[in-house]
Formats: sequence, C-alpha cells, structure tokens
Amino acid sequence: MPGRLDKDHELIKKAQRGDSHAFGDLYESHAPAIFRYLYAHLDSQMDAEDLTGEVFLKAWQSLPKYTERGVPFLAFLFRIARNALVDYYRQNNRLETKDPQDMDGYTADGVSEPIEVVGSQMEHQQILRILRKLRPDYQSVLTLRFISALSPDETAQVMNRSVGAIRVLQHRALAALREEMDKSG
Amino acid sequence: MKIERQIDQIINENVTAITAGEESLESILARYPQMAGELRPRLEAAIWMGQGRLSLATRPGFICDSRKYLETQIRSMQPNSVWKRIAWRYTPQRWVFNVAAPILVLLLLALVMNSAVLTARLSIPGDPLYSTKLVIEDLQLAFTFDQVDKTNLQIQQSRERALEFVELVMEGKYEYLPIAAARMETEIIASLHALNNVAKNAPAVEMPLIANLRDTLSNEISMLNILKGTSPALAHPGIDLAIQVAQSGVLALR
Repeated sequence: MPGRLDKDHELIKKAQRGDSHAFGDLYESHAPAIFRYLYAHLDSQMDAEDLTGEVFLKAWQSLPKYTERGVPFLAFLFRIARNALVDYYRQNNRLETKDPQDMDGYTADGVSEPIEVVGSQMEHQQILRILRKLRPDYQSVLTLRFISALSPDETAQVMNRSVGAIRVLQHRALAALREEMDKSG
Repeated sequence: MKIERQIDQIINENVTAITAGEESLESILARYPQMAGELRPRLEAAIWMGQGRLSLATRPGFICDSRKYLETQIRSMQPNSVWKRIAWRYTPQRWVFNVAAPILVLLLLALVMNSAVLTARLSIPGDPLYSTKLVIEDLQLAFTFDQVDKTNLQIQQSRERALEFVELVMEGKYEYLPIAAARMETEIIASLHALNNVAKNAPAVEMPLIANLRDTLSNEISMLNILKGTSPALAHPGIDLAIQVAQSGVLALR
C-alpha cells in the first residue's frame, strides 16, 4: 500500500500541474474499483461505465482543491462516487430524496433492465437483488470492503466513521447478508 | 481483541484463498472452533461477495478506451491562457495561503529580531546578549562613513561603557569591573583617535567634538567619585581604575 500511495502522490502532483496523462494513470489504477462499486449499485453496466467517467471528470475538476492531508485519493474518489450515485438516483427518480450521508438508500423497487441470460449478468442481478434488501449503510460497507476491496481504514474514511465502527458495521452487515442469502435460496 | 476485529482479520486473510480454491471453508472453521458459530455465516457471506466481485469486473478494453476518452475530454477542458492556467492550479485559498504565510513568517522574524536587539541594547557585561550589543555597535560604526558622525558615535559608546560600569557596581558584579574599565579605556582611546582624524580632515568641527568628549569624561569622573563614596570597599579598586582611565583621557585631550 505505501508503494501505491507514493505513486499516487507523484501522479496527483503532476495532475495538479495539468498533466492529463498522469491523471490517466490514476484513472487506470483506480477506475476498476470505482466501476465495481458503482456497478454493485446499478442495474446497467453502461450506466456504471458512464458514471465512472463522470466521477473521474469531477475528480479532475476538484483536483486543485484536493490536499492529501485531508483524505487519501482513493477515499476522495469514493466520496465523489457516492455523491454521483445519489445524483444519479435523484435524476432517475429511483430514490426518494436523501441526504448524501444516507447514500445508497435506494429501495428494492428499482426496475431491472431486461438482462441477457449470461452468467456474470445473472450473478450481478442476484447480488443487486440481495444487497438491495439490506440497510443502506450495510450495502455501503459490504460493497466497499468486498467488491471494491478497500481496507477497513479506507472504508472508514469514505464513510466518515471510525475503523472500529466500520468493523462492527461489517460484522452485522455480513450476518444480515447471510440471512438474506438464506431467504433468497 | 474484540470478536469483530478477530473475524475481520480471519476474513481478510482467508477469503481470497477460499475463492481461489486454495483453502476450504471447513478447514478455516476447523482452525477457529471456538468462534465457528459466529464465523461461519459471515465467512460464507464474504465468500459469496468475493465471488460476486468477479461478475462486477469491467468489460475487456473498457479501462483503456475510456482512459483515452477521459484524457481527450480533460485536454479540451484545460484553460488555454497562462492566467487561466495559474487560476486553475491555485484556488483563492491557496493564493491567500501562499501570500499570507511568507508575510507572517517575515513579521515574526522581524518581531523576534527587534526584541533581541532591544534586549541586547540593555545588556551589561556578563549578560548573554552583551556580545550581540558590541557587534551591533561595531556594525553601526562600520556603516557610519562621515568622520564627524563616527567621532560622535565613538564618544557616545564611551559614555555607554561608563554607564555599564555604574550598573555593574550597582548590581554588585564587582568581578567584571576590571574588564569594564579596560573597555572604557579602549573606547576613550578610539574616541581620541577619531578626534585626531577629524583634526586632520575637518579642523573647523574639531572644537565642539573635543568639548563633547571632555564633558563626557568629566561627568564620568564625577559620577565615579560619587559612586565610590556610596559603594562597598570591595568595589573601590575597580572604580579607582575607571577614574584613572577617565582622567588619562582628560589629560590626553589637553
């Protein structure tokens, strides 16, 4: 992790000086995690792809104001992603208006797109279906920890909580997820 | 260690291995029999999420293609003029910080330097900042180029040595008196030399300067005599030495 942080640090400095290629490198290393996080909340892969691009564009626009002393770059990106999801649901009327802190609080009533019967898409829909039955903060902690593979520290920074609180939340979220898995067969 | 932390650690260490088929759920549970009840459902759920992670991966080529698109978009958004580029890089807060921080540091430095100089000016032999006082005086002399001003400054410094001498007696620091008397002598000799130079270069202004030095030395002699009368016998040898030095100066002036 320190290696990744050092590399990020250099790339961020270059990007802040206007180097678009350096920002491209940052995109390449962090976009997969952001995409997985977004896709775990959305029905459509294309929407997740579009939103990933939007997140990075917003990150680029906010880059001059970004200082690493506040939050690590990855946490900064995930915060933008959380806000982008809230905006997305507001625009698509799939979510009752909620505070950004309450992100991911969309209901299970989201209309699923017709899906091709392809293994990975079925799995995706299954994950989506089960996750949507959980509390919003459970969904967040599970996607950040197990889908985007963030450490407890990083997850804590994204969710604005302590590491201890994240561990407790994850503990309960996993139990709730297991129950939902049983109910869904 | 709290159970949440322990279970989190076990999950972190083993989910990848189980997903990759290197370990089995049962073998992990067998390693932690005391918490198997709590661990099993959570580990199963974490494994399920780990397996689901693969189905949420990006499609092949997406990252590479979208990176190119993103870079093109960024380049089109970038400001063209130099001023716009600077404004983009530096937010108002950063501008304020960049300007305010050096000013604040300079002000603090000036404040510290000013306090040090003031403290040094009030110091007497034996004080930590006394050498700074002498350096400041030397600098003042070095940067005074007019001969008359220089001579006036020398006379003023000789007066300063006499005042330091009085302060030393009043504070009971008798051990410093011989050194202080020697410094007085050095200043008087330097003043006399400066007067000689004025006599050579500007004889018209010589008389007021001689009068100034004579008054200074006469006042010093009177002051030292009064001091001798009021101070303990232990200080007398040092005071006598200083009186002698001042009298020699008056004699040299004649």
